[in-house]
Order: sequence, then C-alpha cells, then structure tokens
Amino acid sequence: MLEILIHGAVSSAIYAMLAVGFTLIFGVARILNLAHGTFYALGAYGAYFFTAHLKLPLPVAALLAIAMVALFGVFVEKVLVRPMRRSQLAVLMITLAVALVVEQALFLTFGSEYRNVPAFVETKFTIGGVDVGGQRLLALGASVTLIALLWIFIQRTRLGSAILAVSQDPEAANYMGIPSDRIFSIVMALSAALAAAAGVLAGPFLTVQPTMWLLPIVKAFAIVIVGGLGSIPGSILAALMLGYAETIVGYLISTSWTEIVSVLATLLMLIFRPAGMFGKRAAF
Amino acid sequence: MSALIEVSGLSKHFGGLQAVKDVSFAIEPGEIVGILGPNGAGKTTLYNLLTGFIPYDSGSVVFKGRDLRGLAPYRIAGLGISRTFQLCRPFVGMTVFENVVVGGLGTSGGGGSELDAHAHALLRQVGLGGKEQLAVETLSYGDQRRLEIARALAAKPALLLLDEPFAGLGSGEIADLSALIRSVHAEQGLTVMLIEHKLREFMRLVDRVIALDFGEMIAEGSPEEIVRHPAVIEAYIGRGDAEAEEQTHAA
Amino acid sequence: MFGKRIDTAGALGFIAFMAVLPLIFGGNYLIGVLTVSVIYGIWAVSWDFMSGLTGRENFGHSLFIGVGAYTAGFLNTTFGFGGWWSLPAAMVMAMLFAVVIGLPTLRLKGPYFALAMLSSAVIMQRLMLIFWEQTGGEEGINGIEPLIRSQLGFYYFALAVLVLVTALLLALARSHWGLILRAIRGDEATCQAAGINVTFYKIASLVISAAFAGAGGALYAHYQLQVSPQLFAVVTSITIITMVYVGGMASIYGPVGGAILLVLLTELLRNFGEWRLMIYSCTLILILFFLPNGLIAPTWRRVKAKLGRPE
Repeated sequence: MLEILIHGAVSSAIYAMLAVGFTLIFGVARILNLAHGTFYALGAYGAYFFTAHLKLPLPVAALLAIAMVALFGVFVEKVLVRPMRRSQLAVLMITLAVALVVEQALFLTFGSEYRNVPAFVETKFTIGGVDVGGQRLLALGASVTLIALLWIFIQRTRLGSAILAVSQDPEAANYMGIPSDRIFSIVMALSAALAAAAGVLAGPFLTVQPTMWLLPIVKAFAIVIVGGLGSIPGSILAALMLGYAETIVGYLISTSWTEIVSVLATLLMLIFRPAGMFGKRAAF
Repeated sequence: MSALIEVSGLSKHFGGLQAVKDVSFAIEPGEIVGILGPNGAGKTTLYNLLTGFIPYDSGSVVFKGRDLRGLAPYRIAGLGISRTFQLCRPFVGMTVFENVVVGGLGTSGGGGSELDAHAHALLRQVGLGGKEQLAVETLSYGDQRRLEIARALAAKPALLLLDEPFAGLGSGEIADLSALIRSVHAEQGLTVMLIEHKLREFMRLVDRVIALDFGEMIAEGSPEEIVRHPAVIEAYIGRGDAEAEEQTHAA
Repeated sequence: MFGKRIDTAGALGFIAFMAVLPLIFGGNYLIGVLTVSVIYGIWAVSWDFMSGLTGRENFGHSLFIGVGAYTAGFLNTTFGFGGWWSLPAAMVMAMLFAVVIGLPTLRLKGPYFALAMLSSAVIMQRLMLIFWEQTGGEEGINGIEPLIRSQLGFYYFALAVLVLVTALLLALARSHWGLILRAIRGDEATCQAAGINVTFYKIASLVISAAFAGAGGALYAHYQLQVSPQLFAVVTSITIITMVYVGGMASIYGPVGGAILLVLLTELLRNFGEWRLMIYSCTLILILFFLPNGLIAPTWRRVKAKLGRPE
C-alpha cells in the first residue's frame, strides 16, 4: 500500500512535469507540440552523452542538457513552427516531423540499445518498510519544486503576468507593448526545459531509447484532455490521477497494461466531459 | 388561427446569470415580429434556445403544434426554422452558389437539379445573380449578408430568424436589405423574427415588437406603442444617453 | 465539359500507363514497388476523402489499416478462411472500429481529434504486443496465403481496386456529399442551422475512409504474406498524410500521384540504409514549407488550364 503511494507519487511527478510543459505552450501559444516528447528524450540522452562521452560531472551535464534542449525548443518554435501557425494541421505535422527527425538522429548516433543515464542518487532508501530508489525520491522532490517555482513565477513576476496576458489575447498584449513573439519563445524554452529536466531525472530508472518520445506524448495528451487544455492546476491533478491509476493497475494486473489506462481515461473523458475537469479556457 | 410558434415561460441561466427569464409570446403565420433590447438583454440567447443550440431550463417552445424540447438543432431546422447569425458565417472555401445549395441540402433530401434551380432563383432574388461562382471570401460584407439570407431561405423555412441583419452595413445597404426582407416576406408569406438595433429601419419593417431587458419581456405591442413605453425608454435611455444618441444617429 | 473530358483522358492515360509499365520493364522488383505504391494510393485516397474534405486531420489512419490487415491475417491463418473473404471482412471490422472510435472523438476540434486518433493507433499497437500469445507479438502473423498466385495478376487486381476506390470517392466528393463535408469544414454550427445532421456525416465519412483503408490493409496482408504491429505505427499514418500533401489535399486523385512519388522516393533511398527514415523526415519538413498546396493536383490543374486555352 505504501509502495503504491510512493511509486504512484513518483510517476505522477514525472507526468506532471511533462503535462505542465505541454499545456503551457498550448495555453499561451495554441501550439499542440508533438515534439514535446523529444525534449524529454533529448534531456535523458544529453545527460548520458555529457557524462559518458564528455566525462562531465553529473550536475554540470544535467544543467547543460537542460539548457541545450531549451535552446533547441526555441529554435523549433521560431524557425519551424512560427511560419506554420496559419494552419493547425501544419503545426501538428511539422512538430511530428521534428519528432521523427530527432528520433532518427538519436538512432543514428546512439543506436537502438537502451542507454544508461547516471543517477544523482545511487543509494536506496527504506521508508516505512518499502524500498525506494533515491533517484526516484529526488525526481519526486525536484519535480514538485520545479512546478511550484514555475507557478510562483507565473503568478508573481512581471514576466509571468506578461505570459498570462499573451495566453488570453496575443494581439491585445501586443498593443500593450508586450512582445508576444518573444513570450512564445520564452514559454517554449520553459516548456522544453521542464521536459528535459524530467528526462534527466527519470532517465536513470526509465528506459532510454530513440523511440522514447512517443508514449510521453500520448500520456501528456491524455492528462491534458482530462485536466483541461491550458490549465496548469488541471494538468497537475490529472497527472496525479493518471500516475496513481497506472501504478495501481501495474500492481494489481500487470505492468504491460499501464498504457491502456491513459487511453481509456482519455476516451472516457472525451465521452462524458470533453472540456476536461477545469474546462478549456481556464488559462492558468 | 393557431400560432406558428408559441413560447411559454422560457428560462435559461448560465451559472449565476439569468440570461432569459420567463419569456412568453406567440407569433402568427405571416407576421414580422421584432425583438428589441439593449446589448446583453438575451436576444441572441433566445434565438439559440428556440433553435436548439442551447437547452432551456424551463418553459416550452411549440412550433407548428410540435414541442421542440430536446431536439437537436438540425432537426429543428428541418421542421422549418431557419436563422442567420450576428456575425456572417459563410462556408469558407466554397463558392456563393455552393453555399446556397448547402443551405438547402438539409431539408431537400438529396439535392439535385430542383435544388440547383431553387438556389439560382434565390441568388437572383437577393441580388447576387452575377456573383454565383465567386469565392465567398471575396464578397463585400453587404453581399455576405445577402448570401446569409439566401442560404437561410434555401431551406424553405416557415419561420426565419434574423439576428441583427443590418449590423455593419451603410444606410444604402440597409435600405436595400430591408426592401429584400419585405419582398421575401410578401412573396412567400414567410414569418419573420428580427433582432435589430437600427431602430428606424426596424420600426418600419415590423408589425409587432417584443422588448427584452435583462432577459425579461418588458413590453409587447406595435412599434408606435413600444417607442412610447416607459419601461423601454428607461431600458434604452436609462443606460446612458450615449447609447441612445448613437442609435438614433445610426438609424 | 471540356474540363471533364481532359480529366477522363488523363485518368485513362494514367491507368494505361500503370498497367503497361510492368509489361515493358518487367521484373518482379518493379511489380513489387508498383503494388506497394498502389496500396499506399488506396490508403492515401481514403484518408483524403474524410480528412481532406472535412479538414479533420486523422493522425491515426494506420489504426484502420492495421485492423484490416490483422483481420485478413486472422481469418486466413487461425480460422482458415480463403483469401477472398479477407477484403469484405477487413472492411467490416475497420468500419466497426471507425464507429466506436469516431463517436466520442469526432466532436473534438481539429488537433484534438488528430491526437486522439494518434493515441488510438498507438494503443492498438501496444495491444497487439500485450496479447502476443494471440497476435504473435512483434513477429505478428505469418504464413498468409497470397490472394492471386501471379505477382502481375495481384498487381492488376490491386490496381483495379485503386481505380474503383478513387472513382467512387471522387464521385462522392463531387456529389452533394462532398458539398456537405466541405461545408462542415467551413462552419459546423451553420450546417446544423441548415438542417444537416453533422454528426452523421462526420461519422459516415470516417467509416467510409476506414472501410477502404481496411481493404488496403487486407490487400497488404495478402501481398506481404505477413502482418506485424509495425502497421499501426505513427510513421505509416504520417507517410500517408505526406502523400496527400504532395498530391494536393482534398483533390482525391492527387494523393494517388503522391503515393507513387513517395514510394519511389523510399525505394531510391534504400541505398542510404539507416539514413533512409532520417532523409524521409527531413523531406517531409521541406515539403511542409515549400509545397503547402501540394504538387500533383496543382500541376494537373495548370496542365488543364493550358490545354483549355484555344490555340
């Protein structure tokens, strides 16, 4: 029981980081970024590459990986997505194409075997009789901290208010002197950084291979549908629900069934309440 | 003669806001009835309730003797109620002619040459005869309004709901459109409901006026009676002279 | 009317060309490539009919393809039915799936519908792996019987199916069905206000699209003589959408050319081995930037315009 509580929390935390980034860029720029999963993948691979090949210490490698992925995210948004914004299909297609290109690049560079991302914390802890890897606890703690920081940033800083303004009405924000284009880039960087951080933290205990971007997207989408697109609180709540649902299913039935949970949740939500728990336009 | 449409005690609230409150009226076939009210009075909401786009909380709508509760919008349209929208919504990516044909497809059971001929005739009637093959995006706003009406008429409705058809038009265009509505009404004995702010033209067109404010009916009667009705005057002028000024200027 | 005659002439010319090509150049390799391109053509045309006309992009078309293929596989191997049962059965199964998945998802706006379909395809892929005991897992189903022994014969059969499907969907698209679907793309609420049962048309078009995708899947199963979960992969769906892009969205006939072009491209890239998919994905990005209206349909329209001008 305690096992489920802890492992569910860890899963939820990782999912929350992915979903919050995904819903953030959607809420602000109306971009359904199918390449979001690749930020996660690149974070994990970056940590692997910088430590294994460049022999950098882990904390440096992690920060470097996250920074580079953030820059990559900005590049994708500015160069590839922005010209396509007239058509939502085009945006979907191009982000998906980017995902495929990244997947192939990873495959060609690193091959298809699973790679090892080093963990920050190697030791195992025992809490209430349950064995938990230290890395998992770190992932949980870090994700809660990062999301809280993001929340405070958006609610309390001027830049955060600018972001809120742009999410409501980019044109009006422009008239007020807020450069919505630059805001898009900033939000994309944040979104990518969050996903990359998830990759760095979860890489040690989740599988790292070139196609690892796909399932997170499916799950992020499920979470965001259940929580309501564009709503950060909704995403967090839904991430909790999904994380725990999957963990419970994994324990009671089998781990191979866990993916079905997300899709089932999506389908059920779509049938009964397509706007999600907190509705579509509940910005933040 | 039984009414074409009978509305009793219609109410709808959104969260804490009572958008439509206990509205009741009946419209006889062949009438042109105007719905008057300041912005936010619930006029478009009323249309949405009548046409099935929004479900109502209580009350009833009976059309041609048939209760409309629970019917999907397309079924209600199929029974003979057509509407236009406040903002023109043409089918983008299609020609003027195609737009009108689609307008009639829902009720004609499969299209064909009869519908095509009808569409041609309607376009001539609204004055878009030479523009049939144009893409709708290229039409002027006034022409788009005419297209809306042609499209609504293609469904051969018994009752036509117009939502601010004069909005965004210049005075010449308004006169033309008003004449069109009158001619269509006379020719086909169509029953028309009309929401409009442009008071002068409005008063000339309608036989009877229903005035709304805050979702409630505050008055009902002929145009002359309504203009002198204290509640109506308060609703309009009480809102600030600016708005009333603007309306008399625009009319 | 002149335009219609050019169209018919063009179509007949194309069919003749495709029929004669293997006779001139011979060789099983060419027949194989042509067969695959024809099957992709069926998939692309079926996608265009629903998604091109209504603007609801379906990112999970591979779902119906896989369902059709696996139905054929099961019917043929596990249940021992003759190959000719595959096509109708595959179509029926695909149509069932379309109804079940379409009902909750078609009410969603564009991109969400796209992602919901994508998720469905991904999950089907997972399910095939989870139930590996029944479905053969990664290996899939092997030992499917060929439908027609002769390679050339099967090619002609597939070509005939392509021609039939394209003609049928083109006719539908030009009928009032097509008008309604395009109007739905324009403004759903107004369609409702005009008395059109929008939900019915959306689901019906998805069902029709799925039926032919499934048929293509069955053909594929009897060509490859095996089916695997890879059929449900995202790559398949995206490839098909790319083919439609190249062909010209909503043209119905354009995707046929798009399919052939892209299959040819894939074959040419075979020499690049591992780099194939990478080059393919980059090409996709380039196409998205530089050919937003496609290649085939706009070119054909220009040809027609030139021919239509009096000398």
